[in-house]
Amino acid sequence: MFKELDPILHSQLRLAVISLLISVREAEFTFLKEKTNATAGNLSVQINKLKEAGYIDVIKQFNNNYPQTICKITPTGIAAFEVYVQALQSYMNPNGQ
Amino acid sequence: MEKDNLSEKESLALISQMIQKAKNSYHDSGTGPILWGTVITICSLVTYAQITYGFKLPFDIWLLTLVAIVPQIFIVSREKKRSKVRPYDQTVMDYVWLCFGISIFLLVFINNNICSKLAPVFKTYIEVKGTRPEFNYSSFSTSFFLLLYGIPTIITGGCRKLRPMLYGGILCWICCIISVYTKSDVDMLLTAIAATAAWLVPGLIIRHRNKKRAAADV
Repeated sequence: MFKELDPILHSQLRLAVISLLISVREAEFTFLKEKTNATAGNLSVQINKLKEAGYIDVIKQFNNNYPQTICKITPTGIAAFEVYVQALQSYMNPNGQ
Repeated sequence: MEKDNLSEKESLALISQMIQKAKNSYHDSGTGPILWGTVITICSLVTYAQITYGFKLPFDIWLLTLVAIVPQIFIVSREKKRSKVRPYDQTVMDYVWLCFGISIFLLVFINNNICSKLAPVFKTYIEVKGTRPEFNYSSFSTSFFLLLYGIPTIITGGCRKLRPMLYGGILCWICCIISVYTKSDVDMLLTAIAATAAWLVPGLIIRHRNKKRAAADV
């Protein structure tokens, strides 16, 4: 039986963001934009969806009078990512070999 | 990047590509190691020259290490502001180096106390025997410093996969063993070698690598 893929994560940009955030403690919005080559508007929308799902925390602050958005993955996000990767593996290797 | 119907292979490829990108995104500037490698090397060589050629500066050259804390604070705050990403091991690294700095000051404090306690003993010895005792505590204290130098250097070199720093840290411990058997002047040369190998050279290598990487990214 195939596990269902999490629709929140099964989107190219959201998956890219979560994969970046799982590797680091926290990252700035500009870092995510640079690494994903996404537009600021689209990235902002997808980050909001991840935030609403409770997968990431978004901290808005000021650094040298400039607005700064910092994103970090939550324990819920880590668990969801692990389930997603396991589901992918079950698709790739349906016999469990 | 807006595709929603990813195949399983595409998803896995994307995950591994992003993890790789994140891994390659954090780089030390090398400024801190260059600063401390230079300061400790200069202090050690000046102390060596003072012992060997019998002159004395009007101030303690090791006070330079206190002065160097000011640019170090500036370097750390500038790097934090510039950094767009904070890796998991950064907090560990910060604590390791903070503990190292505090340990060095505690060791200086302990050494000063031991020396002040030994001074009257040595005075009595000179009065009775007419010669200076062969035992010189400061010669052994260098070994303790070299021991401490090696610990954060090896941890950083190992965790950050900076081989030159890892080898430099190991060299600190080799110099530590040698310094047990050598006199104060040679100890200072060993300290200069250790500081150059553990911090100055790795710092310059890190800086050179970063410049090459930045040039490649343009």
